[in-house]
Amino acid sequence: MGGYGDVQCIDENGIRLDGRKIDEVRPMSIEVGVVPVADGSARMKWGLNDVIAAVYGPMEAHPRKIQRQDRAVLDVRYNMAPFSTTDRIRPGFNRRSREISKVTAEALESVVLTELYPRSKIRVEIEIICAEAGTRCAGITAASVALAHAGIPMTDLVVSVASGKVHDIVVCDLNKEEDNYGEADLPMGILPNSGELVFLQMDGDLSPDQFQEAWDYNMEAAKIVHKHMVEALKRGEA
Amino acid sequence: MAIPLVPKLLRAHLAELAAEDMRHDGRGRFESRDVELEIDCLTRAEGSARVRMGDTIVFAGVKFQIMTPYPDRPNQGGLMCSAEVRPVAGRQWEPGPPSPQSIELGRVVDRGIRESGCINTEDLCIIPGEKAWQVILDLFAISDDGNLFDAFALAAIAALKSATVPAERFEAGEDMPLEVSKTPIMCSYHKVGGRFVFDADKREELGGDERIHITLGDDDHVHSLQKGLKGIFTAAEFAEIMNEARSRCAELRDLVDKAIEGE
Repeated sequence: MGGYGDVQCIDENGIRLDGRKIDEVRPMSIEVGVVPVADGSARMKWGLNDVIAAVYGPMEAHPRKIQRQDRAVLDVRYNMAPFSTTDRIRPGFNRRSREISKVTAEALESVVLTELYPRSKIRVEIEIICAEAGTRCAGITAASVALAHAGIPMTDLVVSVASGKVHDIVVCDLNKEEDNYGEADLPMGILPNSGELVFLQMDGDLSPDQFQEAWDYNMEAAKIVHKHMVEALKRGEA
Repeated sequence: MAIPLVPKLLRAHLAELAAEDMRHDGRGRFESRDVELEIDCLTRAEGSARVRMGDTIVFAGVKFQIMTPYPDRPNQGGLMCSAEVRPVAGRQWEPGPPSPQSIELGRVVDRGIRESGCINTEDLCIIPGEKAWQVILDLFAISDDGNLFDAFALAAIAALKSATVPAERFEAGEDMPLEVSKTPIMCSYHKVGGRFVFDADKREELGGDERIHITLGDDDHVHSLQKGLKGIFTAAEFAEIMNEARSRCAELRDLVDKAIEGE
C-alpha cells in the first residue's frame, strides 16, 4: 500500500482508470491444455495478468522424507518469469514467492482428495509470465483448473479474487494502480459451490463496513470467475 | 534434471525405424514439426516471442536496464542471455538453481546471437563511460517435448527483432526500435538410431546419442557450433547436416522476417 500519491484511480463518475465500474471485474479468459507434456494445465489471462499452471502427478514422492503415509503431498511452486514485470526480476525463489507457494498449496490441499494417493506427490507449477495485480489469485484459480484438467479428484474448484480500497472507496478486483496506490487489499479463495473459504489474506486498512463490502464483492466476483473456469474445462473436454 | 532411464527397448525401436529410414512419428529424416511463431505476446516485456514446435513451447522476453559500461569498453552497452527451464516444462525438470543443461542452452543461444554481430553494442551506449543499455534476453520454456535449443534460438531472435528500447521510461530520450541487423538461426541435429535427424522430439532425445547445434547467419556464415552428449561422428556426417542446415536456416529466417514485417 503506497499511500495516495498523485494518481487519481477513480474519477468523479465512479469510473476507474481501466474504464471499469467499482464493482466490475477485469476481462478474463481461461484455456486448458496449454502445456501439452503436462498431465493437466491451464492458462488464465485476467486483465494484463497472464498465468500458466501445470500439474504433474500423482507421482512418487521424493525425497522420501516429504512422503506422507496416509495422503499425497502437494508440491506447489509460484514463480514470476523475469520478463513478467516492468523492471526485470532476477530469476530464483524469493521470500514473496515462497510465501505465496505455501498459502497456495494449503488452499489447494483443502480441496484435493489427497488421501486417495498415499505416499505420492502432485506437482503444481504456477508461472506468471505477465503480471498486473492479483497474480496470486490468478495463480490459485489457474492451478485449480489445471488440477481438474489433470483429473485429480477434488471436492470443489477454488476461485480466488481480491477486492480492496482506493481513495476510501471499496473496489472489486484491483488493478495495478489500485494495488500500488490503494489502501487495502483482501484476496480470498472461495469454494464456489458452498461459499466456504480456503484462502484468506489481507493487508491495509478497512472499516468493518468496508470490510463487509469488499467481502461481498469477492463473493459476487467469484461467481463470474467460476463460470469462466467451468466453461474452459467443458471446452477442454470437447 | 533427473537422469532418465533409457529403456533398451526404446533405443532398439528407434534403431529399427532408422534401418527403414523412418521416424516414430512418421516424419522424414530432415523434416521438422510444425513451427508456430508469435511476436509481441507478453505485455510487460519490451520485445517478446512465443515459439511452438510440436508440443515444445517456449517464450522469449527482452528487458532493458541501464548499466555502467565496462572500463575497457567505455562506449559499449551489453547483451545478456539466460535460459531457464523451470519444472513447469516437464516432469524431468527439477526445481533449484539452473542445471548444467539449461546453462548450456542459454550459452549456446547467446553465442549464436552475439557472434553474428546482429546487435552493435556501440549503438547501446548513451553516455560514453557513464551510461549504456544492457539488453537482457530471458528464455523461458513452458513445455519441453524435445529440441528446446532451436525453439529458444528462434524465439530469441524474433523477440530481439520486435523489441523497443524503453528510453522514455528511463528518461534517456525517445523510445526507439532495437537495431538488429542480422537474423542468426540455429538448427539442431540429433543422432538417433545411428543417423542424424532434424528437430528431434523428446523420445528421440531420450533414445538417441550426440547432438550438434549449428547457428548460421545471413549469407550462411557460421556463428556458433556445439556438440553435446556422448557420441562419435564423422566428417561426412557433419558435412551432410551442415548442408541441410543451410536450406533450413533460410526457411526459418523467412518465417522470422515475415512475422516482423507483419507486425
